[in-house]
Amino acid sequence: MAQARTQESGLSRFVPIVSLIGLIIAALGVKVLIEPGGGQNLLASIYDLLGNAAGAEELRNGQGDQFYSKLLLGAVALFVGVGGIWLLFTGASTLVERFPPRIRDRIMPWIFVAPALVLLSIYLVYPAVTTVIGSFLDKKGAFTLANWASLGTGPFLEILRNNAIWLLVATSGSVGLGLLAAALFDRIRHEALAKIFIFTPLAISLVGASVIWKFVYAWQPPSQPQFGLLNAIWTSLGNQPVPWATTFPINLPAEILIMIWLQTGFAMVVFSAAIKGVSVEVQEAARLDGANDRQIFFQVIVPLIRGSIITVTTTIAIATLKIFDIVMSMSGGRNHDDVVAVRMFTEMFQFFNDGRAAALATVLFIAVLPVMILNLRNFRRQAAM
Amino acid sequence: MAKRLRTTSALAAVVILVSACGSSTASPSAAASAAATAAPATAAPATAAPETTAPETAAPATGAPEANLPAVPTGYTELDAALGADKPFSGKKVSIQTQWTGGEGEGFAAAIKDFAAATGIAIQVDSIGSSHETVLKTRIEGGSPPDMAALAQPTGVLAYAAEGKVIDVATFMDATKLKAEFPSTIGLTSDGSHIWSIPTKADVKSMIWYPVKAFAAKGYAVPKTWDELVALADKIVADGSTPFCVSAGGPGTATGWELTDWVEEVLLKTEDPQVTNDWISGKIKFSDPKIKAAFDKVGSLLFKDKYVDGGGTAIVNADLKTVMDPMFNQDTAAPGCWMQKIPVWYGPDFFPDKRTNGGDSKYKIGDDGDIGIFPFPTISDTFKGAEGSADSFMVLNDRPEVRALAEFLATPEGLEGWIKSVGVLSPNVKVPVEWYADNYKLKVANAIATGATAIGFDASDLMPPAVGQGSFWTGISDWANSNGTNTDSVLQAIDDSWPQ
Repeated sequence: MAQARTQESGLSRFVPIVSLIGLIIAALGVKVLIEPGGGQNLLASIYDLLGNAAGAEELRNGQGDQFYSKLLLGAVALFVGVGGIWLLFTGASTLVERFPPRIRDRIMPWIFVAPALVLLSIYLVYPAVTTVIGSFLDKKGAFTLANWASLGTGPFLEILRNNAIWLLVATSGSVGLGLLAAALFDRIRHEALAKIFIFTPLAISLVGASVIWKFVYAWQPPSQPQFGLLNAIWTSLGNQPVPWATTFPINLPAEILIMIWLQTGFAMVVFSAAIKGVSVEVQEAARLDGANDRQIFFQVIVPLIRGSIITVTTTIAIATLKIFDIVMSMSGGRNHDDVVAVRMFTEMFQFFNDGRAAALATVLFIAVLPVMILNLRNFRRQAAM
Repeated sequence: MAKRLRTTSALAAVVILVSACGSSTASPSAAASAAATAAPATAAPATAAPETTAPETAAPATGAPEANLPAVPTGYTELDAALGADKPFSGKKVSIQTQWTGGEGEGFAAAIKDFAAATGIAIQVDSIGSSHETVLKTRIEGGSPPDMAALAQPTGVLAYAAEGKVIDVATFMDATKLKAEFPSTIGLTSDGSHIWSIPTKADVKSMIWYPVKAFAAKGYAVPKTWDELVALADKIVADGSTPFCVSAGGPGTATGWELTDWVEEVLLKTEDPQVTNDWISGKIKFSDPKIKAAFDKVGSLLFKDKYVDGGGTAIVNADLKTVMDPMFNQDTAAPGCWMQKIPVWYGPDFFPDKRTNGGDSKYKIGDDGDIGIFPFPTISDTFKGAEGSADSFMVLNDRPEVRALAEFLATPEGLEGWIKSVGVLSPNVKVPVEWYADNYKLKVANAIATGATAIGFDASDLMPPAVGQGSFWTGISDWANSNGTNTDSVLQAIDDSWPQ
């Protein structure tokens, strides 16, 4: 141990010098990255060194080997990014190593966490705070409560109602069906095959799924042949075609069904693993005590996989609260099916109501918070176990 | 334990950092490569086939003796300098962001080709397509706007102007000259003495597209008045077909504008243009009897049984791209619908054969072709207004070479390349009518525009966006879904949504 220590400090003598050189190179790299046309200029100077003056001139005029200059720029970015991080940590840890052990052990974790904290503050905390502040500003930047007050009016109440319906139906639907599928498939012979069918939709993006379901829901005038799957079935039973995706209120469940279709697989896989984790002995014991299958499931298995249920429910609930893609690609929320995230986007980019968009973003943030807290608590309880 | 914590936290931090840095450093180069792929599009010659039967000679060929450039002196300082023999702006770069893709993108490339060659200015066009407005807002608010940008809605221009993001072109261009060349309502976006944008690519909306040969075969005459239109529609229904194809869907989530256009059109043809202006400014409410009358008039036509296949629900559900397909039934010999009101930008890009197979459409536009255009019938004897709109250019960075390009685009020659290749209407009154002579739809559109007693800019584009692209669109979808039975509650809901 003692020997290792001396070796380390022997090495660390060079670290400041290496770090300094590295820092200079990194600074130069950053300069190339920031400068407009930095890649071309760098390659041009390399060409100059190699004696290819014509190639250098072409590059500086915005022609020539542009592809290679971009490749070079990418390499510089990679070098500065990865190398810079390595340098930062090595340098910082070498410095801290010099402190007395007691202080060192205190500071060390922070050294490693600090860059992440700084980046989190810049990319997450700072925008979040400005968003909340922005929700209290009008177009001229003066304080106002109008953005928040407007959320209490008709169309916005409708939006909040839709989000609530989404949250309840989509979450309980996917969790319930997932649990059902996991419990049933646990007992059949080709379990893996059955699970694949439920699980596959999860691999499809929300927009992709919406496009698929747009065809399922497609509507044609009654005089025309129905190419939408659902209406083809529906009309063959002697009914009039129904515009599933564009008329309220049927469009709301139609869109929520897509989410359930996507998320059930996720719930099922997690529950299935959890159910397999429930020991056979416990189930045997319950059976010996005279419990039937239903009682075993609800009174033994479900309580034992409670942690998984909470995790899956909260994960799906958060995804559902933030739902954007499905509503945006199905109708843009124009048929009384608008939700908070979609409205936030339209207010911001189409209506130029940045303040109201910020208020909606804050609403979404506040709505997600309790679910997050529930989830964190659950994690902590599991960690304690 | 402490050591393990240290290692874990270090690992976690490195992972977070590398992923964060990785994405942030990657984005500039990604943007650069995106720009690189966009750039050749401008440099590419306009190989696009003319959209209509315009003869080859009208298309600007490379090395043509006469370039599409204004004669010096042009009346604009920087433009004169740019076109000077010493090419002072040669090698300078100007970036423009537009929503024009496909034929419109080719047209714009043709418009600026000769200017770029003559001045040496490298013009980089970012054609963003349907997410243009979102990308533009991000670039402007993020502090790195393109040098110029096109917008379809003047309200958007005014919103950016209010934030101080737009350069007032009156500071470097002769306002009197501009106002003389763009006198119409489809003109300069201005509030008081400032001019925030210069119109380009005008559209005339007061036109109805119809199958020429089928009309002749059935002995139908082109209707000149509303009553004739209704009589013709009745005749078509009696003959067992469907008169109108209407779509309130698309492109994308822009649902409803084709229907709002119908209402705006009828209003311009039944009331004084001042009513439209007051409606736009909010002085006249949607629930006003005059506006309601326009809604009712449109409803009496489109929601009448058998006038549109499937009624109001079909209007909401129909896709703009495919709505006119029934007209081409049996090569337009047995149309499934006979009339569509759609602006001048419509054309072969939407015809079923070109849309599915690419290449040139076999259907020709023209009075002697397959698909023809007639002006929207008049309703009143006094008010014969027409509806139009125009995209317009904002200047966002003030540099001499940007000024030169803005000035060039304001001249009649600024759109000459586009007019003579793909075909487009210029809002500049100095554009000679002969430029349109070889292009049927431009000729018709120009005739409609010059023959109208007034031209009204698309009202929904001038209303506050929360109404014009928000509640007006959703409201009119509601209205169509109920086949016009809920006019009062729809109008009231739109009034309620008007920003205070």
